[in-house]
Amino acid sequence: MTSIPASVVRSPSARLGRALAHGDVPYRLITVAASIVLILLVVSFGLMLWITSAPTRTQFGLQSLISSDWNPSGEIFGSLPFVVGTLLTSLVGLAIALPFSLSIAIFLVELCPPRLRGPVGTMVELLAAIPSVVYGLWGLFAFIPAVVKPLGDFLLKLLGTPTNFIYLPFLSGPFFGTSIFASGVILAIMVVPSITAITRDVLLAVPAAQREASFALGATHSETISKVILPYGMSGILGAIILGLGRALGETMAVTMTVGNVSELPTSLLNPGYTMSSVIANEWGEARSLLHSSALLEIGLMLFATSLLLNVLARLLVWSVSRKNPDQRG
Amino acid sequence: MTINKSHAIASWLALSMFLAACAAPTAAPQEPKGSTALNGSGATFPQPLYEDWAFAYSQLDPSVLINYAGGGSGQGKTDITKGTVDYAGSDAALSDAEAATKPLVQLPSVAGAVVAIFNIPDVTTTVVLDGQVLGDIYSGKIEKWNDAAIVKLNPKLTFPDLPINVVHRADGSGTSSIFTTYLCAANANWKAAVNPCKGTTVDWPVDKLKRGQGGRGNQGVAAAVQKTSGAIGYVELAYAKNNGIDYAQMINSANKQVDATVASTTAATVGAAFSDRNSADIVNVASADAWPISGFTYLIVAKDFTDCKKAGKLLQFFNWVLTDSAAISRAGKLLYSPLGDDAKAKSLAALKTVTCNGQPVLK
Repeated sequence: MTSIPASVVRSPSARLGRALAHGDVPYRLITVAASIVLILLVVSFGLMLWITSAPTRTQFGLQSLISSDWNPSGEIFGSLPFVVGTLLTSLVGLAIALPFSLSIAIFLVELCPPRLRGPVGTMVELLAAIPSVVYGLWGLFAFIPAVVKPLGDFLLKLLGTPTNFIYLPFLSGPFFGTSIFASGVILAIMVVPSITAITRDVLLAVPAAQREASFALGATHSETISKVILPYGMSGILGAIILGLGRALGETMAVTMTVGNVSELPTSLLNPGYTMSSVIANEWGEARSLLHSSALLEIGLMLFATSLLLNVLARLLVWSVSRKNPDQRG
Repeated sequence: MTINKSHAIASWLALSMFLAACAAPTAAPQEPKGSTALNGSGATFPQPLYEDWAFAYSQLDPSVLINYAGGGSGQGKTDITKGTVDYAGSDAALSDAEAATKPLVQLPSVAGAVVAIFNIPDVTTTVVLDGQVLGDIYSGKIEKWNDAAIVKLNPKLTFPDLPINVVHRADGSGTSSIFTTYLCAANANWKAAVNPCKGTTVDWPVDKLKRGQGGRGNQGVAAAVQKTSGAIGYVELAYAKNNGIDYAQMINSANKQVDATVASTTAATVGAAFSDRNSADIVNVASADAWPISGFTYLIVAKDFTDCKKAGKLLQFFNWVLTDSAAISRAGKLLYSPLGDDAKAKSLAALKTVTCNGQPVLK
């Protein structure tokens, strides 16, 4: 028998001494401080955008949200084309990325021979490390001429020509390469790694008991994946999608280089467009008048609000999903 | 531009290391090396030239250290108005509102040319355009390359039945300002269709027709043109030359076909009608030798200095860049066009109006 250590004695000063010696108090202080700084940062960010965009907000009000006429030299600031462009490029990107990401993740977790799992996983993660300006350059010089342009021309001929039997106006021309579609494809490639990596980790965390139970009931492998494993990890997968959407919404350089930068409301996905972050990046340097810079800051505010709104919606979605499946941790 | 710039930086580095090794005592030995810092900011268009001039001048007067940060014309104007820099560079002249904020002196330093570049399959030789055709293309009136107006200017070439994709700058830029000022002056359709018809950013009519696209910077426009079959765009002359990009020759207002060169751009500065703030549009001028899409880039300084030593050094530097033959030939080598005699006289007269505590700085 050893003697009782001094730290077990419950005098307050000794408890404090123990907490200090083991780093509990500093630990708590540091984490609390970091969290407070983060909250302050987000709040001050929104506040700054709100205050600096005051000139255009008071002058044009909601007009700038619903007008599609953007003409800085004529002091007309309608930002609808940018909001629409941002949402469209992100949604196209997500729609293309999602089936790819889920397939890759399922392959890596369920079907991939263990020898290949490491190399393929590393390659997916490598894609995430490429800077966006490189994606933009590669897109503009290689990917659009070689893949997007022929693919777009094909879609245009098949579905976007008014005289065809099947005519989809959102795939009509003219099409020159740089377009919302092109940016969407580039964004898809950019968000695939993050969605894939998180989905893979989520699927790996599905307890083996779930799988075994499913097999024991006589389910096939594909039934197990689609009816047991994916539903179990749904809230985590939704989280991965939200993260990918966040990246797509805010992406600037790669989109600016491939979207065509045309401040008109697009009528087709093959038309060039413009996004909120691109117009800020392009026009901020020479925004000389107070109204112009304030209008750009208002677009920043809208981007901020859009991200916030989508995040809240996604949270609600995750929440409702995890309420339906109470045995999983969201 | 980028090539020039990196070149200038490389030679700057090499020579500054060489100078540091030698530490040769030259003029004004009583003043320590680099003791007077002259800081500037502004337009990126003249940046390679200003850096080159700064380097050459620091060899003549080692006591000065001249810096220039290229953040855009708007940035330069903001900085000089706030007084955070000693001089600013701007492709766009001061507006009435900007000139009212603080007493400033503005003077042209050099002129630059803008050229139209194109990508037409099977057309490799030089295309000839004029203001009417270029303006009609950019306002969307001319839709295809085999339009009669284009064919008429180029009887020897065969143009494809291909829609024209019109590329413009997406970022606010002095290049756009020069180009649209030209379209404004040379094409009535453009002037009627676009309001305002000139500026660093305009409301491009071709965008509404879904036949336009915007590129970021000279390189963005050049890349979009090179990668889009049937595209036309516009870039600075120096960018086109340094990157070996073919550009269209123009019929100027004297009805003569001209090539964009340093000499033809300088010819455009001759006889410029200056405003009382020493600015002038030099697009579509009457001279038979003049390149029609030309523009000045300006230096801007405070009208009254409080640091007389700094004011003296800065104005001596400006005087050197405007008058010294070495400075002028450096500009030509980098494809910037020196001012014609009357524009130079205007700039030198403007320098004499700068004061320090009320006293003229240059005699």
